[in-house]
Amino acid sequence: MAFYDGLFEKLGLREWCGTGKSDAPLSMSDLLNQSSGADAANSGPVFPFPSLDNLNESCANLSQTRDVTKGIEDGFLAAKPALKTVLDPITQPLSWLLDSALYTFSAVPWFIMIPILLAISWFSSKSKGVTAFVAISILLLAFVDHYDVAMQTLSIIFVCTGISVLLGVPVGIAMSKSDRLERAVVPVLDLLQTLPTFVYLIPLIFLFSVTESKLYGVAIILYAIVPVIRLTNLGIRLVDKDVIEAANAFGMSSKQKLIGVQLPLALPNIMAGINQTIMMSLAMVVIASLVSAPGLGVNVLRGIRNLELGVGIVAGIGIVLLAVILDRVSKAALSRVDMTHKTH
Amino acid sequence: MSSQPKVRLRGLFKIFGSDGLAALEYVKQGLGKEDLLAQYQHVLGLQNIDVDMQAGEITVVMGLSGSGKSTLIRHLNRLIDPTAGEILIDGEDVMKLNEDELRVMRQTRMSMVFQKFALLPHRTVVQNAAMALKVRGESEAVQNAEAMKWLDRVGLQGYENHYPAQLSGGMQQRVGIARALTANTDIMLMDEAFSALDPLIRTDMQDLLLELQQELNKTIVFITHDLDEALKLADHLVILKDGAVVQQGEPQGILLNPNDPYIEDFVSDINRARVLKVRSVMGKVKKGAKYAGDVQMSDNLESMIALSNGETNKIYRVLDGDKVVGQLDMLDLVRALVPRVSGSKG
Repeated sequence: MAFYDGLFEKLGLREWCGTGKSDAPLSMSDLLNQSSGADAANSGPVFPFPSLDNLNESCANLSQTRDVTKGIEDGFLAAKPALKTVLDPITQPLSWLLDSALYTFSAVPWFIMIPILLAISWFSSKSKGVTAFVAISILLLAFVDHYDVAMQTLSIIFVCTGISVLLGVPVGIAMSKSDRLERAVVPVLDLLQTLPTFVYLIPLIFLFSVTESKLYGVAIILYAIVPVIRLTNLGIRLVDKDVIEAANAFGMSSKQKLIGVQLPLALPNIMAGINQTIMMSLAMVVIASLVSAPGLGVNVLRGIRNLELGVGIVAGIGIVLLAVILDRVSKAALSRVDMTHKTH
Repeated sequence: MSSQPKVRLRGLFKIFGSDGLAALEYVKQGLGKEDLLAQYQHVLGLQNIDVDMQAGEITVVMGLSGSGKSTLIRHLNRLIDPTAGEILIDGEDVMKLNEDELRVMRQTRMSMVFQKFALLPHRTVVQNAAMALKVRGESEAVQNAEAMKWLDRVGLQGYENHYPAQLSGGMQQRVGIARALTANTDIMLMDEAFSALDPLIRTDMQDLLLELQQELNKTIVFITHDLDEALKLADHLVILKDGAVVQQGEPQGILLNPNDPYIEDFVSDINRARVLKVRSVMGKVKKGAKYAGDVQMSDNLESMIALSNGETNKIYRVLDGDKVVGQLDMLDLVRALVPRVSGSKG
C-alpha cells in the first residue's frame, strides 16, 4: 500500500486512476528494494512529499518524473527538424569561418605567424613590455611543442570574439535606445551567463553534428557575447547627460549623436566588454573540447580522461599563458583608448 | 526696440508627471505647486509664463534653484516640450515644427551654453568649437576657419589642439561660448553659464560677454541665480518663483520698486550703490538749480558718492553724451540707497 492511496479514495478518483498497479520495477531503486525484499512504501519516509513519483504509486494514471524529462526530450526532438532548417543555413558561415581560420593559423609557418602576432600586439598595445611578454610566452609554448594546439585555440578565439563583437555591439546599442528591449534582453543575458557551461552543449549536440565546427562555435559565442552586449548598453547609457543635451541643442541627428558622441564616449566600456568577451571565449573553448573543439583543451581533456597528469598540466599552463597574453594586450589597448579621452 | 519680439512666450505651462494635461486643469483652477505634488504627484515646472524677449537684448531670467528657470530656457529650443502654451520665435510657432524642422531650427537659429560646459571630451578645443558647423555639414576648411576666429575672439589662441580636460573651468567655458558663437545664430541661450566658475573668472566672463554683445547684438537669454550678475547683464530682467513670473522689467526699476516680498529679500543684500545708475534716480531739470558738476547718466551711484565726497547738499547735471537729460540731487541718491521695505514684511 502506498501512502497516498487514501487521498485518491477520498477524492473519488480511484476509478480514474485505475486499480491495476503494475508490479514492474519503475526505477533502479525500486528494483534494488524489490530484490532486497523490502516493500517500497514501508521503507520510505513516514510522510513522503507528494511528488509525481510518490503519487504515481497510488495512482498509475499520473505521470512520473521521468515522463517529464522524456517529454522535454521528445519535444526537443520533434522541434529539431524545424530548428535545423532555420539554424543550419544561418550558422553555416560560422563553420566556414572557423575551418578557414583553423586552416590559416596552422598553414602559415611559425616564422611568419609569430612576427604577425607580435606586430598585432605591438600595434594594439604600443607597449614594449607587453610585446616582449607575448614573444616569450609564444616561444615557450612552441618550445614544448604546443605551438600548433595553441594556434588552434587562438584561431577559434579570434573568430568567436570577432563575431561576438560584430553581433554584440549592435544589440547593446539597440538596448541602450529602448528600455523595453533592455527589459526583455537582460533576463536572457542573465540566463546565458548563469546556465552551467556544460548545459549549453547538450541541446547543441542534438542540433548540430559533432563533426561540424559550428557546434562549438555557437556554444562559445552564446557564452562570450554577454559582456560585450552588457557593457555596450551600459557604456552608452552612462554617457554624460549634459553632453547629450548639448548634442541635442546643436541639432545633431540620432546618427550623428551615436557616431560622434555616444560610441566614442562609451568606447572604454565597450573595450572592457571586449576584454571580458575574449576571456570568456577562452574559458569556453577549453570546455568545448568536449564537443570536438580542437586546441589546448583537448590536451586537458586527455589529461583528465587518461590521468596523464603532465599532459594536462602543461596544457593548463599553456591556457594560462594564452589568457594572460590576450588579457594584457586587450587591456593595454583599452588603456590607450582611455588615454585619448582624458589626456592630462 | 523692434516691433516684434524675437522670442515670445505665451501662456506657457509645464507640468512634469504622467498626465500633465489633467493636472493642468487643476493648476488653472488655482492649485498650488505643493498641493499638486501632494495630491496628484505631479510637479509644477512652469505656470502661465508670458515673456517677450527683444532682439539684440540680454534677457536675464533669475530665480532660486527649483524656480523653473532651467526648465524655461529648455522650452525655447524644445529640449523640453511644454504642457500648454505657445513659443514664438520671429513670430513662428516652434511647437508646430516637425522633428527635422526642429533640428534645423536648433542648428541655425539657436545656440546654447551650458553650466557644466558639456564639451565633447574626445574632441579638441577647435573641434568642439566647430561642432555646430560640423553638424550642419560645412566643409572642414570652413569649420576650422570659423572656429579659430571665435576661439581667438574669446582669448583662446594657442589652445586649439588641447583637449577640454586639459583646460581650466574658465577656459572650458570660453570654448563653450566660442562654440555657441561659431554657430552664428541670432539667439544664444546661456544656462547658468558662469555659475560653475569662481568669482574673479566669472567677472571676466561677464565682461567678455558684454563686450561681445556690444559688437554682435545677439538676442541672449541668460539664466542665473545670482542677482549681481543679473543686474550687470540684464536689459530685461525676469524673476521667477515656483515656476511663475513674479516681476519682469528693466532691472533698475525692479531694484527700486520691487513688487513682492520675495524680490525685496533678493535685492536687500546687494550693493545698491554699485548697481544703481544715475539715470534711475535722477530727476527732471529744474530752472535755477546750481550744479556742482556734470555726470554721465550711465555712471553708478558709488562713483557719485566718491565724486561728491559724501556731501548730500550738492546737485549734479546729468548728461547722456553731450545732451542734458536731467539733474541728480545727492539727497535723492542717498534715499535710493536704502531698500524700500514693504508693510507685509512688518
